Amino acid sequence: MADSTGAAAPKPSSSVKLVLLGEAAVGKSSLVMRFVNNDFQENKEPTIGAAFLTQKCNLPTRTIKFEIWDTAGQERFASLAPMYYRNAQAALVVYDITKASSLTKAQHWVAELQRQASPGIVIALVGNKLDLANAGGAGESEDDADGVPDEEGDSDARKVPTKTAKAYADEESLLFFETSAKTGMNVAEVFTAIANAIPETQLKGPRGVGGQTTLGSGGQQQDASRVNLAGAGTAGAKEGCAC
Amino acid sequence: MFNLSSLVQKAQQFIDPTLSQTTPSTDRRPSKSTLFRHQFRLPDTQNPLQEITAELTLSSHHSTRSSSDHPDDEERGRGNRYVGKLHLSEQFLCFSTQGSSFLNTASLSSSSAFTGQTHGAGPAGNGFTLPLCAIRRVERLHSQSYMFALAITTWNGFGEQSKKEGGQKLTIQLAGSRQQCERFCDRLKKGLREGIKEVENLRAVASQCYSEYLLANDPKKKEEDRKQESKREAPDTGLGMIFRYPGNPRKLRDGTKMRLWREYLNENGRNATLIRQPTFHKLIRVGLPNRLRGEMWELTSGSFFLRLQKPNQYAETLAKHEGRNSLAIEEIEKDLNRSLPEYPGFQSEEGIGRLRRVLTAYSWTDEEVGYCQAMNIVVAALLIYMSEAQAFSLLSVLCDRLLPGYYSQTMYGTLLDQRVFESLVEKTMPILWDHLVKSDVQLSVVSLPWFLSLYINSMPLIFAFRVLDVFFLEGPKVLFQIGLAILRINGEELLDASDDGTFISVLKSYFARLDESAHPKSENPKLRAVTRFQELMVTAFREFAGITQNTISEQRAKHKDAVLENIENFAKRTSIRNLGPDSKRLSTNDLGFMYDRFYGVLYERQQRAQMFQQEADRRAKASGTKATRIATDALHNNSVEMGRVAVGPSPTQMDYDAFREFLAGITRWAVSDSPSSPQDANAEKQNYSYFGNSMRNRSVALSPWGAGPEPADHEFMQRLFRRWDVNMNHALSLQDVVTGFAQVKGTKDIMSNISYFFELYDDDGDGKVDREGILRISEALLFLSRRGLENVPSTSASLNSLQQKESTDNVGGGRENRDEQILSSISAFIRRCFEYADPDHAINQTDNSSNKLIDTTEKAVDAFSIGDDEDEDDLLSFSSTPSSPKPTDPANPTQTTGAPLQMQPPPSTPLTPKPDKHTANAALDPTKPLYITLPTFRMLILADETLESFFESAFANSFRLADGPSSAPSTTNLTTFANVNAPSRAAAAQALSLPQDAAGVAGPGGKGLRGMLDNIVSDGMRVAAEVRRRMEEAQREMDRAAQQGASYDEDDEEERGRRIGRVGNEVVEFER
Repeated sequence: MADSTGAAAPKPSSSVKLVLLGEAAVGKSSLVMRFVNNDFQENKEPTIGAAFLTQKCNLPTRTIKFEIWDTAGQERFASLAPMYYRNAQAALVVYDITKASSLTKAQHWVAELQRQASPGIVIALVGNKLDLANAGGAGESEDDADGVPDEEGDSDARKVPTKTAKAYADEESLLFFETSAKTGMNVAEVFTAIANAIPETQLKGPRGVGGQTTLGSGGQQQDASRVNLAGAGTAGAKEGCAC
Repeated sequence: MFNLSSLVQKAQQFIDPTLSQTTPSTDRRPSKSTLFRHQFRLPDTQNPLQEITAELTLSSHHSTRSSSDHPDDEERGRGNRYVGKLHLSEQFLCFSTQGSSFLNTASLSSSSAFTGQTHGAGPAGNGFTLPLCAIRRVERLHSQSYMFALAITTWNGFGEQSKKEGGQKLTIQLAGSRQQCERFCDRLKKGLREGIKEVENLRAVASQCYSEYLLANDPKKKEEDRKQESKREAPDTGLGMIFRYPGNPRKLRDGTKMRLWREYLNENGRNATLIRQPTFHKLIRVGLPNRLRGEMWELTSGSFFLRLQKPNQYAETLAKHEGRNSLAIEEIEKDLNRSLPEYPGFQSEEGIGRLRRVLTAYSWTDEEVGYCQAMNIVVAALLIYMSEAQAFSLLSVLCDRLLPGYYSQTMYGTLLDQRVFESLVEKTMPILWDHLVKSDVQLSVVSLPWFLSLYINSMPLIFAFRVLDVFFLEGPKVLFQIGLAILRINGEELLDASDDGTFISVLKSYFARLDESAHPKSENPKLRAVTRFQELMVTAFREFAGITQNTISEQRAKHKDAVLENIENFAKRTSIRNLGPDSKRLSTNDLGFMYDRFYGVLYERQQRAQMFQQEADRRAKASGTKATRIATDALHNNSVEMGRVAVGPSPTQMDYDAFREFLAGITRWAVSDSPSSPQDANAEKQNYSYFGNSMRNRSVALSPWGAGPEPADHEFMQRLFRRWDVNMNHALSLQDVVTGFAQVKGTKDIMSNISYFFELYDDDGDGKVDREGILRISEALLFLSRRGLENVPSTSASLNSLQQKESTDNVGGGRENRDEQILSSISAFIRRCFEYADPDHAINQTDNSSNKLIDTTEKAVDAFSIGDDEDEDDLLSFSSTPSSPKPTDPANPTQTTGAPLQMQPPPSTPLTPKPDKHTANAALDPTKPLYITLPTFRMLILADETLESFFESAFANSFRLADGPSSAPSTTNLTTFANVNAPSRAAAAQALSLPQDAAGVAGPGGKGLRGMLDNIVSDGMRVAAEVRRRMEEAQREMDRAAQQGASYDEDDEEERGRRIGRVGNEVVEFER
């Protein structure tokens, strides 16, 4: 739990509750480890219920402190999830690009969040384990502006084409990234994009002022955040995260 | 919307009427036997047989050897006395100072577990739990005449040592009438005889106990003895032997503890023969020594007794399932490398291998639980101190008894205990609770991992093991006491925390400093030496001593319903939402209804199956096979409440029979017309001999369909089932059913409905339905419409006027008219089918034959659905030919259709093959295959208003979901047969006396239109079946003819055609 950026400028600071959801072993905990400690452990202790971690993210205008709930992925833990996504302002729904069923599960989570979580929750769809896909990396952007790799090679472990997931994310107005917790690729970008996508009015104070989270304006906020999402992916990447 | 839990409750009441009387809550009071087993941690096979008040005297030799070590304990010199209850079960003799009564003769209210404060002794109190096989001899002591005393000698240590020392002796005085005492002793004698069989098991299991090894190597022993004994290898006491035990042994004072334990065991017996005295509990409280820890966990949790019953279960389970794979195994593999990775043993193949085997073996023994994350951590911890077999049976005890429902599919036990914990916090620390509520911190996000992994993941290992020591002795309440104490100790800091994050970090840093002094600044060096962990234990067991097992049970009962309902709602919500795109074509209400109905049916079936099983068990037991049952299903806790979705483990797949039941609840046509219940099993069967083809032979046990209507079994339902069974595994998931319904109900497009139906019968998918298929389609249409169609739009003018006309005549006339309408529509459909069917051979397409074909089929089919008695007579005569495979029983006098009894086959009718006109009845000629295509089928359907409306809406509407009645439809609908009431019977009798020709004519007048129509419908079905059968016979004839090289069967065809034609004419007359 390293608040590595404690010495940041006195910018307005606010905390954001973020929950990670997704099938077992897609790399939720690894993503968080990479984001929080910039570390990758091959053998992570499984999450019992959910692990709690925090990390700050410096944006040009403000500091966001992420309170991250990293939930257990095993199917039977699903009924515990509401406990963790309650009041969450952001969610990272993670799937494994080498396992098609994990995207289906991710879609279920998105549906669950859209109906049950607080309105206006910012959802990012994240395809992890990009390091296992051959077509990933630099070649991607050259081939296609949308970051769609052309053809999957035979030796490629990728099972979920970027195009499929991206189309789904667009349809549901989700942020979308493909990441590798192992190499660190795109990990910080995901969190920065989320930080940017959360509208100012949704943010609660650094501590103790939690009660003021927008209840009445929830419906309007939803629209605002959705509008924000469209451009967030690219914008966020440039700004970068302090960690 | 239909509520699953209410349905479930209803079902439960149905199954166990006593349940509904106790409480509306689903929590049932544990049985006396359960309480007994729980107190003494006995396997599920044990029942309280005898109990008596007694005084236990531990003979003085117990303490002689150690008296020097305990000079302060003067009492020991005289021998300790304990007053308590002596219980006898099938395989155990138990004594406890905790008052309790489990006797079968006691009423439920007077039988009770001891659930009050145990003062550290655990529910079993002071005393012993002796397997009968561990008792070497029992003597009746000749003391004063009014005393009834037994001296019990146990096998204290096997082999040489035991012989020399003469075992361990204890004296028990029974306090009761002479009769009571005698009864107890008789039963004990019997048990002891049985117990001899188990001695080998005991020998095997005891040899794996470290205590045996420890005492055999007593340093006080003579040198030669030690040499002799120490040849034995030390038993497996877990990975700690190889990779060291966690913590610093010196700091843990492991040596001192071991010495104390050696003394205690020497005096009080080891493993199976151990006697619990207050020292025993104290020694556990201060922490078990490393090498004895596993054994003591086994003894205090009772898993030792499981192992005693089945010493080889672990090895056998592994061997039995070797090489097999499962979802649980996949999940286990994912977690193997991340279970206590900080312990060196689990960075090695050795440790990981052990973990894999134990988890896998358990997943096979309890497939409902399978594997749940957190089990890996718990088992990994156990394996540091225990062998694989020990950990395996301890895991069983954990899952079945100590942590019920924690690791189940829905984890309801975990959620329930979190709720209980919250309510205890609210009760004991109201200020902190208010603060939590105010700052919107959810307590369970912190406490859930504590309970789920028994603090192993939260505290440093050495402290977590100390908690486990007490937990196994005293039971689940310990988890709550420790949890409360943690919050109490950190109360002030927690009051300053206002969000999840701070809350968690306060506790995290507390756990990290458990080994530090609780009072670092104290002047008193003794106080300074108290660690935070010691402070925690004291707080937990002193300040929260009031939290007893009883408290927990009460709280669980209180919150159970709400928690289960929450889970069920979540499961339903998720399940419905995840049904995929097809489900969008149905309304949410419909989906919810379908969900309830689907799981309701599965649940009811499961309950019934269980009931039958119990019944069978009971019978088996009664017939003296009791012995074989002992030691079976020890791992299965029968008292686990089954069936609620939230409690799991509920089936998720529906087989064909369940599907039938499912359909019977939502459609009228899927309800059987001929329930196999004995009281009306007379005539129906006959009348629907048509169904006989597909009706399976089913043993009519006690109402196999429960309270609901008995479902029909029709070929159409089988087809529907196969069609919906997309995975071809002979079972439907909810997904399959919803997708299936979406196809049937979710579309308003008549064309796709028609194609759907056509495809159902296009078996090979070539776009053609052959003659057989056409007949089957017509049968299905008759089947589906036999109770009338729903929502047949009366827009059709003709129908409308007909209805109006009829309604003036008699009530319900419109209905009957519609039935008639359906019949004639279907018969017209069959006729047209053959009319427009495409012949399969080019040869048949000569003008001549096709003309004839049309001509004859028309006649033939006229007779199809509307046959009168005479016709039936003729048709049935065919069935009496010996070659008939399934002869109907034409002579059944109970037939209410008024069929004349003179059914002698006319001399000309038997299948006397005569070579004659070949094409006369080409429709029925197996040599002339023909088929219809989808466009033809479509055209034929659209040509008829009734059929058109059937496919447009009536078929889809025949499935009644959320909008329809929530319960199974009543059977008061027009079942074609049930409505034959007394008057019509009279009429039928009357008809019998009439001349044959008049019977058909007299029918309408005498029986009333309703009865007549019923007959028509059933006759129609019979005719269809007859035609089918005759075709089969004809086919056989053909085959025979082909063998003989002759072609004389054509005449038969002609004959048949003629006959049908004649019948058809009569029907036409009748219709006029």
